[in-house]
Amino acid sequence: MATHDELVARITDAFPGVGHTVTFDELTFHLGPDQIVDVLRFCKDDTVVAAELLTDVSGVHWPAGVDVIERQPSTTGWPDHVVSREQGVIDVLYVLRSLRNGHRIRLAVRVTDVDPVVPTSLTVYPNAANFHEREVHDMFGVVFSGHPDLTRILMPEDWIGHPHRKDYPLGGVDIPYKNDKHIPPPNERDLRVVTDSHGEVVTASSDAEEVVS
Amino acid sequence: MSSDLNTPTDPTHAGSDWDSDLFVDGADWESLPDAVEDDVMTINMGPQHPSTHGVLRLVLDLEGEKVLKVKPIIGYLHTGIEKNAEFRTWVQGTTFFTRMDYLAPLHNELAYCLGVEKLLGIEAPERAEAIRLILTEFNRIASHLVWLATGGMEVGAVNLMVYGFREREHILDLFESQSGLRMNHAYIRPGGLAQDVTDDFVERCEALLDYLPTRLREYEQLLSKNPIWNSRLRGVGTIDADTCLEYGITGPVLRAAGLGHDLRKTDPYCNVEQYEFDVPVHSDGDSWARYEVRLEEMRQSMRLIRQVLDKLPSSGPVMVQDKQIAWPSQQALGADGIGNSPDYIKHIMGESMEALINHFKLVTQGFTVPAGQVYSAVESPRGELGYNIVSTGTNRPYRVHVREPSFVNLQASDVMSAGHSVSDVIVVIASLDPVMGGVDR
Repeated sequence: MATHDELVARITDAFPGVGHTVTFDELTFHLGPDQIVDVLRFCKDDTVVAAELLTDVSGVHWPAGVDVIERQPSTTGWPDHVVSREQGVIDVLYVLRSLRNGHRIRLAVRVTDVDPVVPTSLTVYPNAANFHEREVHDMFGVVFSGHPDLTRILMPEDWIGHPHRKDYPLGGVDIPYKNDKHIPPPNERDLRVVTDSHGEVVTASSDAEEVVS
Repeated sequence: MSSDLNTPTDPTHAGSDWDSDLFVDGADWESLPDAVEDDVMTINMGPQHPSTHGVLRLVLDLEGEKVLKVKPIIGYLHTGIEKNAEFRTWVQGTTFFTRMDYLAPLHNELAYCLGVEKLLGIEAPERAEAIRLILTEFNRIASHLVWLATGGMEVGAVNLMVYGFREREHILDLFESQSGLRMNHAYIRPGGLAQDVTDDFVERCEALLDYLPTRLREYEQLLSKNPIWNSRLRGVGTIDADTCLEYGITGPVLRAAGLGHDLRKTDPYCNVEQYEFDVPVHSDGDSWARYEVRLEEMRQSMRLIRQVLDKLPSSGPVMVQDKQIAWPSQQALGADGIGNSPDYIKHIMGESMEALINHFKLVTQGFTVPAGQVYSAVESPRGELGYNIVSTGTNRPYRVHVREPSFVNLQASDVMSAGHSVSDVIVVIASLDPVMGGVDR
């Protein structure tokens, strides 16, 4: 079983620009979207890292604005750490597992939420990431370039917006099911403005007006 | 419906092949290429089909009776559990995640709670860990019994449907006696268990352990030499270990392909490393191998439970002692069969203002969890069930992503079915044992 230090040495030797953190005894490497395919291929082929299994791909959205990160559970109500960013970002997280060496590492790729493009990992792990990448695309709008079948997987095809983004409105979105009786959304949460994956404003469907008139 | 909604907003849709346009709502059927021209027939199976384990839609490309391609289309049962959990407290999260894979609810609760405990830097008491292990192993048996029941029915052994669900019912009775619910228990909580087990818990478990092996032996005798069962399962859906890894498959399917990977051995949780059990492995990699592996797994689970029962501390806390985390309410059996502990009510209402405030804050706001990110995984009946939990130090999860084994394993339905006949697709799906509640989440 390879220790964290061995893994860090192995990967940062091959890719000097890759940063890493160890939190909760878990090792995370931070890299850019241009490096991910090379790093994945290295992790799969290397005898120490030896990650045969791409366990999981997921996303986390950190929208633009002020984030309050409370490092310690406190009762004072005063945050002890604040992150402010002008540009929202999406972290795409890959969990790799080595069955031979019995360790697990995480790769975190950070892209902007306006133009989130990450090369597909299907070139390295030919089938494992298929559904995972479609799910991240569906939920966060991340475009995995090179994915042969990048379509929505859990939400309906004509759904507008990406539900797991933090700026996704929780109310006031028309439910675009065909042939369904229209139930007007509650007014107090009617945001009416949805942005698509490219940050462009897409107003919700014109159904509401049709039904009202 | 305005036409612009039917136009995909994403530029990647343009120019992709036709099966990119197959979606959940099924309204695109007319756009498929004419099946007669190239002798390849495209058949829709599901989502409402008794053999598809819930609402799974398969689009089959057929040449005669031979399957060329299987495309699983999912999402019919999507309930947004991950998103919902972002707006609930950490304790309430358990009630959501237990509803994902409804055949293995306790494994979902356990994986989530282990993750939250890792973030909190706490460990559940020894007795709670032992009870967690007993109940999750019983859950594994119950889940495999449902697989035996539904899988049997799908290949024509309809009597197994009745038998499997009957035996499972006894296990659900045990769960009900401890948690109050047959399914979706929310019994395992961050820090321990919702409440202690009843006095007759050990007796109930032992009665089950006496009862189940005889029944299992009967089913094995009924099936293993049955020529129909043999011919339907042997050589169908063969997959080798390398292909399993390529598709990310874990669990019984991987073990039936010859690779004895089990998270209980490699990443032990709930002190499982203290007990002896074997990881059954089979070399054939076909549906028959998966049948044998699952049968043996049930026996090994029973062996494991017996050892845990022997070592189970007779008394002790089942929740961490930290008053900032442990659920404050105390239950006691009243004359009406349910109720709050009179002593506890007296304490918060009559003796301690601080206790009342603590109770109120924990129940309404919940506890806060330090910022960070963890991945916690357990071996569910279907493979590696992983929870990637992100906290920003508030009383709610910032993001919880679930690595569902059913979701991942379903990807391989194509490679496992190709070349077989349509009826074998049923066997392949049955031997993968997907639970759509887990697939769609």
